[in-house]
Amino acid sequence: MELIQELFLPCLWGMIACIGFGLVFNIQGAGILICGLGGALGWFIYLVAQRLLGGDILPAFLAAVGIAIYSEVMARIRRCPVTGYLQVALLPLVPGAGIYNAMRYCVAGETNQFISTLLHTFGMAASLAVGAMLASTVLRTLLPRLSREKKKH
Amino acid sequence: MEYDDLLNMGTELGYQLMFSGAEIYRVEESVFRLLTAYGLQPQVFAIPNCLIVSLNTPQGHPITRMRRIPTHGTDIELLERCNDLCRRLCREVPPVEQAKELIDGLSKNKRQYSTRVLLFGYVVAAAFFAAFFNGSLLDGVSAGICGLGVGVWMLYLGGKLGFNGFFQTLIGAAIASLLALVLTKVGVGQNVDAITIGTLMVLVPGMALTNAMREIMAGDIISGVNRTAEAILTAAAISLGVVISLAIGM
Repeated sequence: MELIQELFLPCLWGMIACIGFGLVFNIQGAGILICGLGGALGWFIYLVAQRLLGGDILPAFLAAVGIAIYSEVMARIRRCPVTGYLQVALLPLVPGAGIYNAMRYCVAGETNQFISTLLHTFGMAASLAVGAMLASTVLRTLLPRLSREKKKH
Repeated sequence: MEYDDLLNMGTELGYQLMFSGAEIYRVEESVFRLLTAYGLQPQVFAIPNCLIVSLNTPQGHPITRMRRIPTHGTDIELLERCNDLCRRLCREVPPVEQAKELIDGLSKNKRQYSTRVLLFGYVVAAAFFAAFFNGSLLDGVSAGICGLGVGVWMLYLGGKLGFNGFFQTLIGAAIASLLALVLTKVGVGQNVDAITIGTLMVLVPGMALTNAMREIMAGDIISGVNRTAEAILTAAAISLGVVISLAIGM
């Protein structure tokens, strides 16, 4: 019961929130569900990784890798650009609260907290970007080869 | 001149792609591939608000076109259509007039959610992000109301008044945080932070920051730095808006 509350409910909320964002970004048809599922998947990986490893930069990196693999595969299947899936699915992880808090410290004049929160936010954004780019690059070199070999057999 | 038409066609496709919020490398690569498919050797350069396409005619005469990209949101449907069309044109290489018509038809008759559905999207995103940030059920409901307020401002009022992006975001954030304060005072919501951050997720530039990092990783440093600055400016607008309404709330 506790596990459901801590692991699954946030994923469900994240998924529905992602679907709401999908409407704002004008994603049509089944794509919007794929984005929602991607968001839930990413947050699930993040939560599990956080329990096992602690911290938040490394879990965010792993979640971004998971999301990128999922989005690339879905983009191949649906023959669509990967951009939309990737952007919306990353939303729950994206450091919105961090950048907001940082600027709130800045306006309040708390320079030390501002700098440390801002740097941490940049770290989160960078780890998400590196994770997503890494998985995409590796998959882009691997997937065409795999499908070509399948055709041969 | 056929080369003028080809150049215009390539630039128009790039413009539509930029307008739909595609990454810089995708824009540059698509225009490059399209014009290469027509037997040209184009040079393409894009930064977030400008696109330059240049090519040499076989007579050695260089022609260039530049287009400025106005402020835009993200429109995945348009992006998918542009991408499909670009692949199709590269594969089939139809006559220039026909290709031009296809590209001009991109932004017409595309599927687009109505403004009411967009408003619903704002409400759902705000409500469930509040729940996501450890808000209770009532917090979700109040965040939904705040999201409605922000959505009405962003979709109906702010755009029509012709405010620039900075002030539009600032006032949106002020509305969100003021509504959150009022709703907690009245007793509907409990956790002000969850409501505020959940609602601000629809304005917050977290995604812009992550996209900026992805541009930098892809090697488009100018665009990446450009977008990073934009993200920080938006965050500043949001926190100013929040501070203003906190001051009013006191």
